[in-house]
Amino acid sequence: MRTADYAMLAFSSLRFSRLRTYLTALGIAVGIAAVVLLTALGGGAQDYMLGQFTQFGAHIIAVNPGKTTTMGVSGAVISNIRPLSLEDAEGLRRIPNVRSSVPVVQGNSPVEHGNRTRWTFVIGVNHEVPQTWKINVAQGRFLPNEKLEQARNLAVIGYKIKQELFPGRNPLGEFIRIGQERFRVIGVMESKGQVLGFDMDDIVYIPVYRAMSLYNRESLMEVDLLYAAGRDEKQIVERIKKYLIERHGGEDFTITSQTDILGTLGSILTILTAVVAGLGSISLLVGGVGIFTIMSIAVNERIKEIGLLRALGASKRQITLLFLFEAAVLSGLGGVAGMLTGLSIAWLMHFFIPALPVSVSWDYVLLAEIIAIATGMVAGLLPARKAASMAPVEALRSE
Amino acid sequence: MIELQDICRSFVVGDETVHALDHVTLDIAKGEYISIMGASGSGKSTLLNMLGLLDEPNSGSYQFQGKELTTLSEEKRAAFRRENIGFIFQSFHLIPRLTAAGNLELPLMLMGMSPAERRKRSTKVLADLGLSDRAHHLPKQLSGGQQQRVAIARAMILKPPMLLADEPTGNLDTHSGTEVVKILEALNVSGITLVVVTHDVALGRRAHRRIRMLDGKIVQDESSRSNESAT
Amino acid sequence: MRASDNLQFSGRALTAYPMRTGLILLAMSIGVASVIILTTLGEGARQYVVGQFQMLGSHLLFVLPGRTETTGGLPPLLGTSPRDLTIDDALALKRSRSVQYVSPNVTGAAPVSYGAREREVMVFGTNNELFDAVELKILKGQFLPEADPRDAVSISVLGETLAKELFGKKHPVGEWIRVGDHRFRVIGVLSSEGQSIGMDMKDVVIIPVASAQSLFNIPSLYRIIVKARSKEALDQAEKDVIKIIRARHDGDDDVTILRQDALLKTFDGILKTLTWAVAGVAAISLIVAGILIMNVMLVSVSQRKAEIGLLKALGAPTRQVMTLFLSEALMLSLAGGLIGLALGLFSAKMVTFWIADFPVQTPMWAIGAALLVTVVTGLVFGSIPARQAAKLNPVIALSGK
Repeated sequence: MRTADYAMLAFSSLRFSRLRTYLTALGIAVGIAAVVLLTALGGGAQDYMLGQFTQFGAHIIAVNPGKTTTMGVSGAVISNIRPLSLEDAEGLRRIPNVRSSVPVVQGNSPVEHGNRTRWTFVIGVNHEVPQTWKINVAQGRFLPNEKLEQARNLAVIGYKIKQELFPGRNPLGEFIRIGQERFRVIGVMESKGQVLGFDMDDIVYIPVYRAMSLYNRESLMEVDLLYAAGRDEKQIVERIKKYLIERHGGEDFTITSQTDILGTLGSILTILTAVVAGLGSISLLVGGVGIFTIMSIAVNERIKEIGLLRALGASKRQITLLFLFEAAVLSGLGGVAGMLTGLSIAWLMHFFIPALPVSVSWDYVLLAEIIAIATGMVAGLLPARKAASMAPVEALRSE
Repeated sequence: MIELQDICRSFVVGDETVHALDHVTLDIAKGEYISIMGASGSGKSTLLNMLGLLDEPNSGSYQFQGKELTTLSEEKRAAFRRENIGFIFQSFHLIPRLTAAGNLELPLMLMGMSPAERRKRSTKVLADLGLSDRAHHLPKQLSGGQQQRVAIARAMILKPPMLLADEPTGNLDTHSGTEVVKILEALNVSGITLVVVTHDVALGRRAHRRIRMLDGKIVQDESSRSNESAT
Repeated sequence: MRASDNLQFSGRALTAYPMRTGLILLAMSIGVASVIILTTLGEGARQYVVGQFQMLGSHLLFVLPGRTETTGGLPPLLGTSPRDLTIDDALALKRSRSVQYVSPNVTGAAPVSYGAREREVMVFGTNNELFDAVELKILKGQFLPEADPRDAVSISVLGETLAKELFGKKHPVGEWIRVGDHRFRVIGVLSSEGQSIGMDMKDVVIIPVASAQSLFNIPSLYRIIVKARSKEALDQAEKDVIKIIRARHDGDDDVTILRQDALLKTFDGILKTLTWAVAGVAAISLIVAGILIMNVMLVSVSQRKAEIGLLKALGAPTRQVMTLFLSEALMLSLAGGLIGLALGLFSAKMVTFWIADFPVQTPMWAIGAALLVTVVTGLVFGSIPARQAAKLNPVIALSGK
């Protein structure tokens, strides 16, 4: 028998009991829509998080003091006895393929201008921040390339600081007071908003040496290294490790590459999306039970017809295939309807709440479709087999 | 053409064994027109099912053109039915979702014939039966006589050598019944072996060979070569 | 018709098709069981987290140097600020009547060694009051004794993991360890029992706060942990802390105060929402099951037309026919719901069996909601077929066409 004929027969019987077909397909559609929608939200969250992490560019390696084994901030960042020094930061720059090296010291201070004060994050860095962190100056320029120990009291302020301290005025050339020292504003950064809960606009950048003296610190909290794109990250990490071990006499630091973070984060979010998809497929399972029930009923109702087909010489295989086709078409229809519904809801959500990240995971959409049809076929198989194995005489005689 | 030898078939109903066919031996020659009559439960339908390979005997042998059929598997029997036997049922057994043409084409479809070829054949057969304008009607839109004619056309579309009819007029009024009988007899005249199971004495008498059954046994088997009554 | 007759009639209609009925029950119970299991797990997670926080004592304040004005942003956890928190600041907080314990903290990392074994761990500089503030337990020896926190004394208390790593089976109390360049005598080992998240004291070394300052060569504190006298005193304690620090810092509000109960509330809220969301997603499957009930009931109405016709011919009013079919749908959904509930509760018990200290408590609201949804599902999805049955014309119905 031809495939087109199987399909024709399947469609004809589905059309014949239309309401039943719609309701059965609806059951599957609800499940599929749930999976599509939930994975779209999961995918959106994934994209959002990854986007946040790659804000600073993908080719960054961070070096922190102290050996961290567990997650979270190592106590060593706060204070430690084997510091990461400015010399370390300078030395790391000389490692092949390292493009830039930003030493970081972070503190928290009131920043004053005139009679206005704002508590904010003060970050001690060097001139290489814009290229390393992928953040640009909107006005003026960034900190100049000066010998670290001789760095002048210059400051570059975040967008929010400009608004708070210099409303409606040009801050360039003005002086701000941080702690007991005066800094001349030479630049304003572009607005970046919050990245991972950290307001990038509420920051004042000053030369790292100045920050160390301001906060009375002798060591760095972090060194951020930018390496040339396309280079072997592992090799660079190894070189950094070797270099620092040589200088410090032991591994008293932690190297975190962007790839590490993204890898961990990616796998966590992938698991999350899978879990969410799993929750959605509970409905799919129930829909499958629905197909099974309806196909069982259909077989029962059409025993006579099966008898006739047998009398006309249809083989068992043909009868099985006929019912399987019907189940597959039923679930396939539901699957497509569910997919379209899920996609439209996802799209509408994104349209009305732009802040909500939505990203359709096509893998899951496809998987859900396959599962839907497979569910239908599996659910249809038993009734179909039952139909095929009926003795023709009995089938013809049944009421 | 057909030789049944000592065919037995029994069913268990409740805790009683019913011998629907009790050592039945029967020869049927090609082109014969046979009626099988008898009271309800006499085994006439079982005999018909046996002839049509819908049922399997408990013992005995069934040879069709010298070939033993009782040893065939159910799948082989299905193929054999398709090629050699046409069925007519009292309740027509048309599939309610398919049009007249669709029902007619079912056997061709099961064979895997192409739609164009199928259409060609069904159009011709429907024209022969005077049902051309009913080709795209669903069974429920056809009269009983029309439905039975479609069923006959379906049985004959693969040109099997034998036609088995189980009470073909049972659900029809006299006029339609006569019409259907005429078609069946015309087919017989053209060389097809026709076996009719019926309660209707008048219909039974029209056959050239009349078999009467009682309690699973053939109790009467008379032939009349005369063909006068078939006008 | 009596209610009991009604039930019997509908019940028989259901048992006439055991396969069909069984499948619907399966569908319904999958839905209900998943709602029950997921809410149980969610509620378990919530109670676990809340329990962990409460173990820490729920009336704690953390005073951190520095401040940020961006709302919703991170607190200045790495806070280094031009004006530091000092041990004197911490001592001054004791003046408040609402404050019970004050523990100045210096935190850092340093290699700790004993003999040939070395391990890089968290170093926690504090005073004796930490012990009561966060409710620690001692395994061996004693905790830091009461002393002036400004005195650097070379004594230490080890976390249980650290003690095991450094000393193995040996008794650590009385031994001398090296932390960085300094030597400390071990006076006690903490018990890892009853320790909670956010305050992991298993792999740490605790030394007097002044010793830590000299170890890391810093004059300031990382933070001060304050415990209020009671939950009610928490607000007053927070106000007092702000007032005292402001007075000592020339009128500047240059500290950030984190409240434990605020943190707890946030977590509680997040986990509650999560539980609801997960239960909601699972509840979608109940709708699917409801659709199935409707579908099968419709089939059964069309198959039982003759029966309905007969009932009407025998004088059953429309309402009664409707009630019959509606109660059939209700029985289906309710039975499915109860089976699902039993299945869910059983699975939840299994979870307790596997994860001993995971609190598994199926919330009553979940049970109630699941059963309510079940009944509503039966009523809503059963009403259409019931109405269809009720409005059948008896003559046509009897002919079975």
